[in-house]
Amino acid sequence: MAQTVIESAPSAPRRSRRGGRTGSSWKAYLYLIPTFAVLGTFVYFPIYDSFRLSLNRVAPFGSDMLFVGFGNYTRLFQSADFWNTVRVSLWFMVGTVPVGIGLAVVIGLLLSYPLKKLSWFYRTLIFVPVVISSAIAGVLFRLLYNPVVGFFNHWLSLIGIDGPNWLNTRSWALVAVVITVVWRQLGFNVIIALAGIQNIDEQLYEAAKVDGANTFRRIWHVTLPMLSPTLFFLVVVNVITSLQAFGEINILTDGGPGEATTNLVYSVFVDAFVGTSFRGLASAQAFMLALLIIFVSYAQFRGLGKRVHYQ
Amino acid sequence: MTTVAATARTDGHSSAPRVPLAQRLGDLPVHVVLLVIGIIIAMPIVIAFFMSFTPLKEIVGRANPEFLPDTWTFENYRTAWSASPFGRYMVNSFVQTGIITVAQVILSVLAGYAFAMFEFRGKALLFSLVIGSLIIPFELTFIPNFLLISKVGLANTYGGLTIPFLASAFGVFMMRQFFLSLPRDLYDAAKIDGAGDFYYLWRVAVPLSKGAISAFTIFAFLGAWNQYLWPLVITNDESMRTAQIGIRFFLANQERATNWGAIMAGAVIVMVPTLVVFIVAQRQLVKGIAMSGLKG
Repeated sequence: MAQTVIESAPSAPRRSRRGGRTGSSWKAYLYLIPTFAVLGTFVYFPIYDSFRLSLNRVAPFGSDMLFVGFGNYTRLFQSADFWNTVRVSLWFMVGTVPVGIGLAVVIGLLLSYPLKKLSWFYRTLIFVPVVISSAIAGVLFRLLYNPVVGFFNHWLSLIGIDGPNWLNTRSWALVAVVITVVWRQLGFNVIIALAGIQNIDEQLYEAAKVDGANTFRRIWHVTLPMLSPTLFFLVVVNVITSLQAFGEINILTDGGPGEATTNLVYSVFVDAFVGTSFRGLASAQAFMLALLIIFVSYAQFRGLGKRVHYQ
Repeated sequence: MTTVAATARTDGHSSAPRVPLAQRLGDLPVHVVLLVIGIIIAMPIVIAFFMSFTPLKEIVGRANPEFLPDTWTFENYRTAWSASPFGRYMVNSFVQTGIITVAQVILSVLAGYAFAMFEFRGKALLFSLVIGSLIIPFELTFIPNFLLISKVGLANTYGGLTIPFLASAFGVFMMRQFFLSLPRDLYDAAKIDGAGDFYYLWRVAVPLSKGAISAFTIFAFLGAWNQYLWPLVITNDESMRTAQIGIRFFLANQERATNWGAIMAGAVIVMVPTLVVFIVAQRQLVKGIAMSGLKG
């Protein structure tokens, strides 16, 4: 239903143009002015401004600038700290995306089973992280990771495992942040996966059953291939969210220990706002992060085009 | 586990009275697995809720962490409310979220209507500018925006918190799609009756779009309430902090005293509005998110 509405939408204006019964032209701008005033000032212009800043060395206070060309960029490429933030961002992506989507598909398959009772209850429990903010997620998990009053290490000790000092060990700190982000993202991922699964034509399952396919084969040969556009969408959205993770890091680890959880976004924040500010350098990093995200988003648009043919 | 689920489904379809026991068992494993998964996922929120009612003495005195308090107390809420001005944080968040939500809805309805119903020069270009802005990450724009807002003296004000977010490209897109789906005949009929464009929008299109508008209102509300990076950098005056920023500093202050009950009370205060939205509007929220996935 939703899909038909959206897919049929683009043809509507063409029909009306042929009919020539549309409103007069200049009035349209009145309706658009407020939106474009805001987007222009706070989205379009800052794209240029951000690039300009990235070509300058900016004084920590005030607005004095020194043009350095691509100096900030070359400085970054030669800096071990910068490559560390890139590495952290990538590890973070590797940690969150496959696990988050894998869990979402498994839970989505379970939720798609037609239970007569209580399914609303399970959905409520499973979807709830979708309204939780990154700050709250950070606070809740900071308690769980606490070595004294926290629950994680207590639970681990019940099965005989001596839990790590989560937030103060270099490698575990990253794992801790990954778990938190996967949790917060899970509600959204399951909703999308479930919608995708329920959107698959029942007849395909019937056909597979007639052909003698068992459950595993039906999931492997019918569900997953038919779900591939949904999975693709989930990969893109999750890659972008993982690159933008900030709130959880700010509250759980403050980018540490050392710089073990300082991803690109966190580095932009630290360079621009913590202690002595390096806003030119921060802008250069922001620009590279943005290019990465725009590239991934563009991949989605391309994928979308393919998908329309596919259907 | 998935095998169990799907096998049960086929059994349910094909078999009738012959194996009633297996049939009944068929649903049970799915119930159990989903219940366990649901409990695990909701656990951090449930723990926060119970701990917010647990006295400090019990939290630090126990050998092992436990879920339920032995004696229930409101002390933690009193601490959160007084030691840190959570009342003020909540007011700030409601004002900030209210302004952003109302403005985004109104501006999106207006712009979405223009893109759906009017023909004008530059329409395709302007629309692609709106769509294009969707892929511009906030990280690219927030430093220049911070400098601009600070320069005009709006740091630490409601203006500074809200003005950059008064418009929503996503909202414009959503409302345009919805207006396009309204039958064109309605518009033509209204025109023949002598209705102006604004009259049609206000009296016909908006009432018919209540579902879409309320769905977008929910998104806008949650997005604004849960904002973190921007309010963190644009406020440094305690009295202007939003709830999300307030809880961060409250955590930093109380953690040294291991006052986790008070911290969780603060967390509960901050997330209650979003949990209320979730409970009241769950179906709409879920439908809205599911649609965003189906359209790709």
